[in-house]
Amino acid sequence: MEDCSSGDEAYDYSSDRDSLDAIENEEPDYPGVSSKSSSTKVITKESLLAAQKEDLRSVMDLLSLKEHHARTLLIHYRWDVERLLTVFVERGKASLFSEAGVSMVECQETNSVLSSSCTIMCEICIEEVLGDKATRMDCGHCYCNDCWTEHFIVKINEGQSKRIRCMAHKCNAICDEAVVRNLVSKRHPDLAEKFDRFLLESYIEDNKMVRWCPSTPHCGNAIRVEDDEFCEVECSCGFQFCFSCLSEAHSPCSCLMWELWIKKCRDESETVNWITVHTKPCPKCHKPVEKNGGCNLVSCICGQAFCWLCGGATGRDHTWSRIAGHSCGRYKEDREKNTERAKRELYRYMHYHNRYKAHTDSFKLESKLKETILEKVSISEERESRLRDFSWVTNGLYRLFRSRRVLSYSYPFAFYMFGEELFRDEMSNDEREIKQHLFENQQQLLESNVEKLSKLLEEPFNQYADDKIMEIRMQVINLSVIINNLCKEMYEYIENEVLGSIQVGNHGIAPYKSKGIEKASELSVCWNGKVSSTADKFLPSDCGTSGKSEQDFFSFFFLDFYNLEE
Amino acid sequence: MVDFARVQKELQECSRDMEASGIRVSPKSDNLAGLTGTIPGPIGTPYEGGSFEIDITLPDGYPFEPPRMKFVTKVWHPNISSQSGAICLDILKDQWSPALTLKTALVSIQALLSAPEPDDPQDAVVAQQYLRDYQTFVGTARYWTESFAKASSLGVEEKVQRLVEMGFAESLVRSTLEAVGGDENLALERLCSS
Repeated sequence: MEDCSSGDEAYDYSSDRDSLDAIENEEPDYPGVSSKSSSTKVITKESLLAAQKEDLRSVMDLLSLKEHHARTLLIHYRWDVERLLTVFVERGKASLFSEAGVSMVECQETNSVLSSSCTIMCEICIEEVLGDKATRMDCGHCYCNDCWTEHFIVKINEGQSKRIRCMAHKCNAICDEAVVRNLVSKRHPDLAEKFDRFLLESYIEDNKMVRWCPSTPHCGNAIRVEDDEFCEVECSCGFQFCFSCLSEAHSPCSCLMWELWIKKCRDESETVNWITVHTKPCPKCHKPVEKNGGCNLVSCICGQAFCWLCGGATGRDHTWSRIAGHSCGRYKEDREKNTERAKRELYRYMHYHNRYKAHTDSFKLESKLKETILEKVSISEERESRLRDFSWVTNGLYRLFRSRRVLSYSYPFAFYMFGEELFRDEMSNDEREIKQHLFENQQQLLESNVEKLSKLLEEPFNQYADDKIMEIRMQVINLSVIINNLCKEMYEYIENEVLGSIQVGNHGIAPYKSKGIEKASELSVCWNGKVSSTADKFLPSDCGTSGKSEQDFFSFFFLDFYNLEE
Repeated sequence: MVDFARVQKELQECSRDMEASGIRVSPKSDNLAGLTGTIPGPIGTPYEGGSFEIDITLPDGYPFEPPRMKFVTKVWHPNISSQSGAICLDILKDQWSPALTLKTALVSIQALLSAPEPDDPQDAVVAQQYLRDYQTFVGTARYWTESFAKASSLGVEEKVQRLVEMGFAESLVRSTLEAVGGDENLALERLCSS
């Protein structure tokens, strides 16, 4: 903090106010992070139906389908409208439908109504039934209603509501949900409700862009992201999490790294390591014994004496150099190596864990600091002073929280990135050393600036004179900008230089957002917008292909497009 | 509750063309939920000439849930456990359809005997052998058929005993019998010529 605290600079600042305000404007308005532009959406119980209808409608419109067929298609294609349309354009309607188990409705429509005057042989119960007691599905297979109902009940109870197939052998067709609902509700109304709920929740469960919020107790919300599943989000209930793995936000650690790290911290696997390094099992009672000084003849609390060097049981008589009736001077290379290795691994883990822990702890302490600082701000604001604006304090505080998080998760990242567990064969030793060195430089630079900021913000500025406050203000603002840039650079380095060259595994990380974890906004439903945005992507690249079905598709698309224009 | 009316009809249907198909289903007791099926080993396979008994248990949801089937007769086949007789066949699991019957399921098992799927094994040891050393597989499968799936199967120990009495080592007698598919005369020829 000394390097930028000279009076001259403070003077410079006040004379050049505009430029600094410009810098300050880059900072977010904490705590009200703008959420208007966010692409992540909260789906509540109420908006789930609307969200699902939105996608259903776009498919129904584009392919001129009934709702239940559109739903079957979308469930099969995991609610990925774009992929569904790609399959449609590339492989045609027939293939799209048959893969998902949708029957071509047109040809079946005529004989789907069965009159009560004729009788039908149900092949399931092998009984003759009247026509009005039987149902023919879109695929053409006809069985009695009792058998259909029984089939549906078994399937719903097996948890297959979303894909109940026709009873005929090798018939891939999915049953019309209206028929299922109608028949099941006559015998088990509660099961029919369950069926409806499964269909509705399919939008969340089968959709790779939508996830339940993992808060406990569960808030009932789900989150939908737009493009990238590697991101960190904040639900409207306030819970922040990694969208990809649903654990706490952990960027720049990848999900796999984080999972391993958490497991390692919890497992006490290192405790086990410590025990191997520092203790030997008693040859009699097999309890681990730690040597607390003295010679190499140790005795367990069970009374058994044994040699510390080889672990073998011995008599009790000894001199400083010899144990009675025992010699074990032979060198055993393997054991030495393993002990060394375990020791080295343990120290390495401790190094990273200590720093990770230190930053996590600081983060917790600084969260408490927030209240005292806000208090200081309100005191200062009440003072008679030409200084009215204290947003720099909250902004600085916010920057501190943000970078603390990045810093603490950067340690488990480095532990795995430059360790042997995950990427031993991905980098040569030299390469690893160079990359680790550069990364650590950045990390240290960030670390020292974060500590500076932390110290500054703890100053009792409400007791200071105005010009002294101005000086602190300027330093806080400067540091915030520097820290933000350092974070950005570190992420760039990670993404381009370090993780970028890795071929194995999926190590996508949530990108750095200087404004912090994105708050998901409430879903507002807008039918046409979605349709056109999806269709837009399809127009330019696929115009050249022709064929009957494609033309159908584009005529639908254009209709819709012109509706929008009006 | 099992649809016993349908089971009853299935049994009638099955007994009607038993002569042609060779497939037999009969209840173990008065309770129709436990049955025994019998299928002949398909011609042109190592199972030819054998008669394989299959234990059938009908779950409450039958025919909307698949019947549970397993081999009682020991059989050497990649998709059938040589230990427990468990069968790895899709229509007995997720591909079951209420339109299938006990007879069609047994026909499918018979088809499985003719066309093993070693890439989706139930018994890894057998599947390995099938893929790596097909000749030995055929020999073992035939020997098992001779030993366990034939009315004369009981005679195997006697054959062994007779050959041992002629002065051949028991382990050698057994492996030779296995190699020639249980034919006593062939085995004797081989033992003498070796």
